[in-house]
Amino acid sequence: MSIELTTLLFFGSLIFFLVLGLPLAFVLGGVSVIFLYFTWGIDSFYLVASQIWGTMESFTLVAIPLFVFMAMVLERTGVANALYRMMYLWSGGVRGGLAIGTVFICAIFAAMCGISGAAVVAMGTIALPSMLERGYDKHLALGAINIGGGLGILIPPSVIMILYSLITGVSVGKMFAAGVLPGLLLVVLVAIYIIVRCYFQPELAPALPPEERAEWPEKLRALRSVLLPILIVVMVLGSIMAGIATPTEAAAVGVLGALISSVVHRQFTWQLLYDAALRTFSLTGMIMWILFAAHAFSAAYQSMDAQTLIEGLMANIPGGPWGTIIVMQVILFLLAMVLDPIGIMLITLPVFMPIVTSLGFDPIWFGILFVINMEIGYMTPPFGFNLFYLKGVVPPSITMPDIYRSVVPYVLVGIVGLAIVMIFPVIATYLPDRLF
Amino acid sequence: MPVLYAFINGVTRLNAWIGRIASLLIFAMFGILLLGVFYRYALDAPTVWTTELTQFLFGLYAVLSGGYVMAHRGHVNVDIVYARFSPRARAVLDIITSVLFFLFTGAVLYFGGLIAWESIDSMETTYSSWNPPVYPFKAAIPVAAFLLLLQGLAKLFEDIAIALGRMTPEPDNAEHRP
Amino acid sequence: QDAKTTTWRVQSHWPTASSSYDDSLVRIKNIIEERTEGRLKLKLYPAGALFKAQQTFNAVKRGTIEMGTISPAYAQNQMSLAGIASGLPFAFRNVWEVAYFHKNLGFEDMLREEAAEHGVYYSTDKVYPTEMVVNKPINSYADFKGLKIRSSGALETFLTKAGASASYIPGGELYTALSSGVVDGAHWGAAQGAASMSLYEVAKYHVKPALNIAGTDAFIINQEALDALSEADAKIVRDALDEQFWYRTNEYLYLERLALSKAMANDGVKITTLPPEVQKKLTAVARESWDEMGKRSDKAGEALDKLENMLQQLGYIEAS
Ligand code: NA
Ligand code: NA
Repeated sequence: MSIELTTLLFFGSLIFFLVLGLPLAFVLGGVSVIFLYFTWGIDSFYLVASQIWGTMESFTLVAIPLFVFMAMVLERTGVANALYRMMYLWSGGVRGGLAIGTVFICAIFAAMCGISGAAVVAMGTIALPSMLERGYDKHLALGAINIGGGLGILIPPSVIMILYSLITGVSVGKMFAAGVLPGLLLVVLVAIYIIVRCYFQPELAPALPPEERAEWPEKLRALRSVLLPILIVVMVLGSIMAGIATPTEAAAVGVLGALISSVVHRQFTWQLLYDAALRTFSLTGMIMWILFAAHAFSAAYQSMDAQTLIEGLMANIPGGPWGTIIVMQVILFLLAMVLDPIGIMLITLPVFMPIVTSLGFDPIWFGILFVINMEIGYMTPPFGFNLFYLKGVVPPSITMPDIYRSVVPYVLVGIVGLAIVMIFPVIATYLPDRLF
Repeated sequence: MPVLYAFINGVTRLNAWIGRIASLLIFAMFGILLLGVFYRYALDAPTVWTTELTQFLFGLYAVLSGGYVMAHRGHVNVDIVYARFSPRARAVLDIITSVLFFLFTGAVLYFGGLIAWESIDSMETTYSSWNPPVYPFKAAIPVAAFLLLLQGLAKLFEDIAIALGRMTPEPDNAEHRP
Repeated sequence: QDAKTTTWRVQSHWPTASSSYDDSLVRIKNIIEERTEGRLKLKLYPAGALFKAQQTFNAVKRGTIEMGTISPAYAQNQMSLAGIASGLPFAFRNVWEVAYFHKNLGFEDMLREEAAEHGVYYSTDKVYPTEMVVNKPINSYADFKGLKIRSSGALETFLTKAGASASYIPGGELYTALSSGVVDGAHWGAAQGAASMSLYEVAKYHVKPALNIAGTDAFIINQEALDALSEADAKIVRDALDEQFWYRTNEYLYLERLALSKAMANDGVKITTLPPEVQKKLTAVARESWDEMGKRSDKAGEALDKLENMLQQLGYIEAS
């Protein structure tokens, strides 16, 4: 069987069984096992179990339960709610202020954490209820969290960038520096989108009713609610920058900050801690079993000679160097709909990189395009990690179609950002050229 | 069918119990990581064991969650078409798609068991400076797969009972979340 | 009628950007495919694609895949000699000495015998040094003792015993940790390895002499898969691997120096040589750790005797 046909069947079955309602983790795992059986034989199931062990051993994933736990504590102690009340008071007549504030918080989260999952689950817990409570449109709110959560891989530190550097040989420091401005660009683009959209459709994000608008003294008093979150951010970022802790260890520092906050907020109880721990276990478990199966899924696809497909696709491309870059982005975009970023990297980069460099393009710039594309991929249906992580935390009234629908405008915003960085490479290359 | 109900309840309780205990590992990971930072930064005497132990506890924590998450309907799915069916039709659908579930967990149980056995057989250690044994953590893979498989069986029996009209489905699955 | 073609799946422990992926793995693939006139094909998988490095030995042993590349450190659990193969600290001083130990003194044959017990054919790809990079010069033992070094495995134990503060940090966090000062130094291979992880951007001193020099990269082949080839083709594979050892060991030395010169020119890296007092101290501590390795099995003891004999003859150590 040709790799084209295998690919079609492989991803076709993924979509088919997803639609039938089987949980994602078991669809990925089950489809892998079936295809491995027919392309390699029963003995290859060893690979599935082996990938689970490999995932259990990834130290950087330890940040997931820690950041999720931090968010759970902040939510249960009312620290998060106080923060959103403050943002609401201060945004006053500005429509969409909370959604924009959420994306800003996501950007800060991204600077603290090198992966995507923790931020999405954390913000889904903290930000979503606050926005829904105040009458925000669910699609507007969900999408903002979806795109904001993905910033974790674009704003340094970033595990995906480190892997990109390992596979392509470019400098990690330059990649980190290159991600900063495109990350901020995306934040600005999302903010512009929210402002414009809410200007034309005010009902999507109600501003604070005039009778509730506070006077200065109350506004200032509400500012106190930022103190604790700022304390946490300073503790986490401070410990990374001062060389006290590695990014993963800094997640534990974040938990410490959350616990201190709960004591300061006079909400600390053992019951609260236990509840938060149980919920964290449940959410981390959901994430991890998806990762277990997703890693088996991409290993299975690679064993089927996936690279030949990419080589074939790249063989005859019209449109010169820029046509090639655009076709690569389209391939990445399509793959990101059905595969995880690490798998995509292993399959495509060995084929892409020699072409990119021989055409004279900057591999750092290409890396940033790659990472932005993966960030978009985190929220493109049918298989986007962020979509499923979010589904795990939202109230039952929000369904998968809601989440799928919510990402459409934000995916477009992401593509606009990708195009801007593609046309103006200086956005990515300015900082690394300056710093190194 | 009291035996069947007893099985379903027993399995669910077992996983809930294991989950309650395993969930406490978050405190261990938190504490050990901070301790590692403290030793390295404040005392200038880095430990050889904190990173490795945290990593292994995390692996245990992550893999053991499978059955617990399933018992609480926490493994997310796509409910676009699925939500439109009647509870009975959903049960039938779940019975059919459970083939994939059992293939996957069965493969993990058997081959995870093999990986664990290879490790136990050679009394595998990490050969790091701390050099702890690996086999207890590798053994967690088949154990976790077994717990998940049990929960899957419980769900299958429930679905069969619902499909046959012997059991009314719970009103809203989401209520089960902790 | 066409001759039967066999395809082997080969899981590498090198990522595609590692020079060894092309220079070692792709090279051996091309040679084998050419010399067997296409009867044996190798399908290469970069690091982590099918199996993680630590699981590759078992996957080859079981025959799930036919061939792989590993660091012997990942096989210590199965092979008692793997500890010595992946390097004793401060033992050898030159790469040629290790090559002589492997090929002329029979250490390679001992490794093959032990791997054969697991149904695996073992062949060292090359021998090369492991060297440290640090962010401040080391001028005294006090300087050395004050260092926080990212290390792993046997070297972590050794560095700790020698007085430095060694700890393990996963590769994914190494760059960040070194740039922020969580650690002051690290070893990741030698010059090429450090360059591949961008470590020279944040650590400007390359430390000589080497922490160890050893056969840190190796090929492993499932014995049944090898036996399933015609005797002529199996010989082609074995001979190609033997030739590769000499070719790559020498080439790698050249590439190491090239990478170091480049780092010195482009990143302002300086070479810092450990002061004699530090070297003396490290050598003394090192010998204790050799004894530990020798205790792993009778074979390991035999290999260690052979090694110590050689070092004595070379005048590097006193008789113990
Ligand atoms: Na980040
Ligand atoms: Na996607």
